Amino acid sequence: MQEVNLKRRAFLSKSCAGFGLAALGNLMGASDYRHHAAKAKRVIFLYQAGGPSHLETFDSKPKLAAMHGKPMPDSFTKGQQIAQLQGKPLICYGPQQNFARFGKSGQEICELFPKIGSVADDICIVKSMWTEQINHDPAHTIMNTGSIITGRPSMGSWIAYGLGAETEDLPGFVVMMSSGRGGQNQPIAARQWSAGMLPSKFQGVKFNSVGDPVLYVRNPPGVTRDMQKDSIDAVNRLNQKTYAAIEDPEIQTRIAQYEMAFRMQSSVPDLVDMSKEPTNVMEMYGAKPGDGSFASNCLLARRLAQRGVRFIQLYHRDWDHHGGVKDGIAAKSQEVDQATAALITDLKQRGMLDDTLVVWGGEFGRTPMSQGGDGRDHHIKGFSYFMAGGGIKPGVTYGATDDLGYAAVENPVSVHDFHATMLHLLGVNHLRMTVKYQGLDVRLTGVSGEVVKGILA
Amino acid sequence: MCAYGQKPVSFNREIRPIMADTCFRCHGPDSGSRMAGLRLDVREEAIKPNRAGRAPIVPGKPDESQIVMRVFHASPARVMPPPSAHKELTAAQKETIRRWVAEGARYEGHWAYEPLKKADGSIDTLVAAKLGEVGLKRAAEADRRTLIRRVTLDLTGLPPTSAGVEAFLSDRSQDAYAKVVDRLLASKAHAEKMTMHWLDAVRYGDTSGFHGDNLYPSWPYRDYVLNSFLKNKSFDVFTREQLAGDLLPGAGVEQKVGAAFNRLNRVSAEGGLQPKEYLAKYGADRVRTVSAVWLGATLGCAECHDHKFDPLLARDFYSMKAFFADIKETGLVPDRGAKAWGSLLSLPTPEQKQKLDSIVARIDALKASMEKTAPKVDEAWKQRLLADYEAGKLAWKIQQPLSASSKNGATLKIYNTEEVDMSPYIGGILRQFRAPGNGLVIASGLNPDNETYTVTLKPSAGTWTSLGLEVVQDDNNPGNGVARGADRLCVTEVEAMVGGKKLAFSLATSNVSDPTWEQPARSALDGNSSTGWGVVTYGENKNPFLALRLKSPLVTTGKETITVVIRQDGEARKATIGRFRLALSSGTYSWPEGTEITAQRNKNGKNPGGLPDPVVKALRGDKEADAKSLEQHRLWLEADLSELARLEQERYYLEASIPKVLETERVEPAETRILPRGNFLDETGAIVEPAIPVKFGKLETAGRRATRLDLANWIVSKDNPMTARVQVNRIWRLFFGVGLSKVLDDLGSQSELPVNLDLLDTLAADFQSDWDVRRLVRSIVMSDTYRQSSAPSRQSVEKDPENRLLARQSRIRVDAEVVHDIALSASGLLTERFGGPSVRPYQPEGYLGALNFPKRDYSASRGKDLYARGLYAQWQRTFLHPSLMTFDAPSREECTVNRVNSNTPLQALVLLNDPIYVEAARVFAQKMLAEGGKTIDAQLDWAFSRALGRLASPEEKVVLRELYTKNLERFKGDPSSARQLLTVGDTPLSVKTKPEELAAAATITRAILNLHETITRN
Repeated sequence: MQEVNLKRRAFLSKSCAGFGLAALGNLMGASDYRHHAAKAKRVIFLYQAGGPSHLETFDSKPKLAAMHGKPMPDSFTKGQQIAQLQGKPLICYGPQQNFARFGKSGQEICELFPKIGSVADDICIVKSMWTEQINHDPAHTIMNTGSIITGRPSMGSWIAYGLGAETEDLPGFVVMMSSGRGGQNQPIAARQWSAGMLPSKFQGVKFNSVGDPVLYVRNPPGVTRDMQKDSIDAVNRLNQKTYAAIEDPEIQTRIAQYEMAFRMQSSVPDLVDMSKEPTNVMEMYGAKPGDGSFASNCLLARRLAQRGVRFIQLYHRDWDHHGGVKDGIAAKSQEVDQATAALITDLKQRGMLDDTLVVWGGEFGRTPMSQGGDGRDHHIKGFSYFMAGGGIKPGVTYGATDDLGYAAVENPVSVHDFHATMLHLLGVNHLRMTVKYQGLDVRLTGVSGEVVKGILA
Repeated sequence: MCAYGQKPVSFNREIRPIMADTCFRCHGPDSGSRMAGLRLDVREEAIKPNRAGRAPIVPGKPDESQIVMRVFHASPARVMPPPSAHKELTAAQKETIRRWVAEGARYEGHWAYEPLKKADGSIDTLVAAKLGEVGLKRAAEADRRTLIRRVTLDLTGLPPTSAGVEAFLSDRSQDAYAKVVDRLLASKAHAEKMTMHWLDAVRYGDTSGFHGDNLYPSWPYRDYVLNSFLKNKSFDVFTREQLAGDLLPGAGVEQKVGAAFNRLNRVSAEGGLQPKEYLAKYGADRVRTVSAVWLGATLGCAECHDHKFDPLLARDFYSMKAFFADIKETGLVPDRGAKAWGSLLSLPTPEQKQKLDSIVARIDALKASMEKTAPKVDEAWKQRLLADYEAGKLAWKIQQPLSASSKNGATLKIYNTEEVDMSPYIGGILRQFRAPGNGLVIASGLNPDNETYTVTLKPSAGTWTSLGLEVVQDDNNPGNGVARGADRLCVTEVEAMVGGKKLAFSLATSNVSDPTWEQPARSALDGNSSTGWGVVTYGENKNPFLALRLKSPLVTTGKETITVVIRQDGEARKATIGRFRLALSSGTYSWPEGTEITAQRNKNGKNPGGLPDPVVKALRGDKEADAKSLEQHRLWLEADLSELARLEQERYYLEASIPKVLETERVEPAETRILPRGNFLDETGAIVEPAIPVKFGKLETAGRRATRLDLANWIVSKDNPMTARVQVNRIWRLFFGVGLSKVLDDLGSQSELPVNLDLLDTLAADFQSDWDVRRLVRSIVMSDTYRQSSAPSRQSVEKDPENRLLARQSRIRVDAEVVHDIALSASGLLTERFGGPSVRPYQPEGYLGALNFPKRDYSASRGKDLYARGLYAQWQRTFLHPSLMTFDAPSREECTVNRVNSNTPLQALVLLNDPIYVEAARVFAQKMLAEGGKTIDAQLDWAFSRALGRLASPEEKVVLRELYTKNLERFKGDPSSARQLLTVGDTPLSVKTKPEELAAAATITRAILNLHETITRN
């Protein structure tokens, strides 16, 4: 174990050249940011982009059903931000799907998600999330970076920076995407996985489950693996001669990066090659190789986790149900229910759930008021997430929204609270992982955030 | 009590950083967080005794000064800073404070706000003075090869030509170097390099930056910058034109284009956004950008509260924002349709304007005369038309094709009765179902850039008057739902044949009638492959439908085969049809409209199709009907529209060729309120007028509201010391890798005291005297400091590891665009151009897959545009080209004045595997074999000269010869792989050399392009 740490330190120190002094000190030794014993070693974030309706997933609101069709009481909505429903009448819209209780813990989950229900005893549902940004782009930004100011590092970058990766062949932070079939695939910008002012090596690297797994990872047509190796060897020999002549440490780094690139050229395609997975595993996830689905990405996430990637973020788009939420949720459940549960089960079976934090949720929720007669608008005051593994208390529900599912009233959890908790489970004190920038001690949690003790095991 | 020989404590150098880091948070300029009513940033306050008679600082008497007592205090309850602040002073820092108080507690104003202090000396003497303080000396001049490569890369972003290098080496005259410098400074390439850096600062992008991130017209502004640098426009004029070009007396086109700077901020078209929130965001962006680029101030920090470290108030933020309140804009900026992007300035040449005016006049005249001579719409005519319509006589008859084939390899499959999965948008919602194809042809498999579809039909007996091409939109088509790629569809020509004879068409009409969405239908019939019927973006719900009117009716007996040829040879790659149907109509001409929509509407037999909706309404006597639509339709049916169609088409292409740019249009200033904590919902804050930060003074405007021009004038006035310092500092970084003060966009108290303030101020004072950028640049590159060797001495590394004092030059990896330009230049691929629209280099497929509104794919440019300098690459802000991004080019979503310089394995993957570098290696090899000499050693020298400015050493030749030989054997044994490697990229393959030799040579040039030295400025 000691050896691995030394290798990592040496690797980090070799690739330090060219960075600002501020970050330099912080790069030496990932253990600087482990402030206490970690429960989780890695995070798999199943990011449901578009804003899943909490009212048709994890937050059952019978009182809202009773108010269906009646005007939404002013006391809830007065002075609050509102998105596309600006200027429109606000009418209560009862839950469009039924809920059921699952597992020994009896957690209430929408019955369209029975597979997630089957792992209810492993998950912790947080019903009192809230955020500040009501449009997709800035809402993603705050969920990913803890700030609405563009240019801050994403949570994956912070974690890769603070803890390093446990692999030398793969990036510490990987992002994958899948699209839903409902037609509301909101755009997601590359800055959502940017490293901000942290060294660029910590940025998220997007892996594709269809086509080229990582951009430019495949050799050019006509160039075999041997040929590529010979070319890289030649380049590095020449670089080494230059180094001998002028001793520029950057050259050593570049030599190391070319060697790493060559390793990635086989480790990455190998990783996304699901053909070696047993049929029963593929069936458990409901994945088909090369189909680019959320299910395939979940399986790939497990493989990435096994190989030491620190932060794996899966975006599944198309939750933006401004219209047709009833059918829309049904369609989404078919796309994510089985694979989500399969991932948790798979991790558990491999003994990895205890040190893998799994997170499920999006950038905001949806309004208890109807939009267009059959949909829900963006909603920020209360929505649901669930988490599993990595030190999270299993089989419990935490926090609550008011009777109509409008605002988080019991144990509200802000984005910063959520980030603080995630870092805590990884062994990091969110107050103490900072980088000096513009005179501030910049951190993921901005200037707020408290660890949510109630959901810790 | 000054230790013998010790210099007095410098406030700015030693005390202010300690206070700014440790004390100002509670005892600084921010009254909101001030503790114990005590402030230490202002001397009068710091020496004031409190009610108990104790003063924080008693100058000269450390033992009586509270701050000294508190920092040395043993008890955690009394020590400063308190343990809760999580900051500790070192013993050395405490001693420095004590000594400073003992020496009289002399305060200094923050260095960046003090007047410029010009010192006696040149760059070299001032640098030497600093070096001398630590016992270092400047290095000797770099060798000539290194020097010319260094200065050429720095001034132009291109490597020197072999001829240039040789000429410099053999020029023994005194001013050999100066001649090179002057040649480079006058070149267009230099203007391009300076532009590159300026575009980072002004956050220039080609797309809107939020949400759909669609293209907006900004590139003429880049031309403005290029021309400004080319003619060495003085920086004060440059500043005024960008901040207030539209307000300058006698403002011409150039000034107005310069003022587009104010519109380069990101904008959003997301439905449901709060307009006031986004107007606040746009204003904030301008404050951040202007203060960073010109003032080196982080005024952006004061959006929500007074600045914690610098004397900038929240009020100052909003007063600065107020300058820009006279710019016409909306919170939601539409990104399509006639109102896209708000105010736009059209930039026709005089010829274009004249031509356009004349065409418009002719169109108007023609329309008027047609309307005059048009037959009246009488009842009889209406009845006949309605009867025909309701009898289904105007309906399109969908054809069931017999065969469908493609020219370039796409697979075309016909679904007549066979069922197929469909996922169209209907009513704004994506529907998915399975249904019989009913004549649907689907393209799949190979996806060539251009295609020609040939389809045969065997219509039933009839007399046909129009052919219809219906493009069927489907979510599976990545190009806006209609095309197999790109962001558009382009049908360059439609032809039809019967019995070997070509059918003549007289008119083309489509159902996509928004000119901002569509290129003319006529282009599909004009016999011109460079024009095409194109759909760029369109309303979801429609299938774009092209109706082609036959010149004379076609009579069929049921035995004839019609062959329809659909050519898609447009510029956009893969802008080919994904799914389509063909239809015929007989009798009165049928209006083009989607057959599926028609079928939906016709469920009860009442709407069989073939007429535009308004006409149907009018014929049926609908009260809300538009009577004019009947006249228009009659004209469409009966008049000869060919001339009008021709003129409209000419007009379209002429207008499309006239550049447009975002315009700063002045309107009555909107009110600007201070937003408490930056909260746009809180309208209780005071209204402010445009003003510069209170700390910096007050603009004299004799009571009139200050304008952007006043702001610009103040920024470049002699009384403002910040601007010159900031520009000099940024420009210094271009040549040394780091500024004299490290943080380029912040010269405030949190930043770094310049390592050589004398030098910075002297250069700044000089720059300010005439604002001549080129003269400043010249003085830097002519200095010995710039020209010295970058080989470090042991002492220099020990005493000055980061090379701040410059006892040696630095080795720097070149910027992203330059990495690209070096490869293209060395290989001979680089296109010569200056200015012009943005271009699109090759990019991996599906890279833009996460975008939407509209869903689209990327289409690389063609021909020479593919090989333009990196500066001209289309800057897609939310998904910057991955090769550029990998080499640290910023997305420019925000103003970025500094680039990080990273070194990652992804960079290796780009240089090895990005097709442009592979193509460059191949073209480089072609050229090497043709021009490099007869022996491989000579060829290696030739290639090294072009890429590195030197010859290859014997050892280097050994390595590369080995590589060549090894690969030659491989390619001889596998010629197909040689061919594969050699056909990467669009440049045609030269057939002069044996493929295996050329491929093996390409592996050498590829290795050369991957060397560390190639992308390093030494």
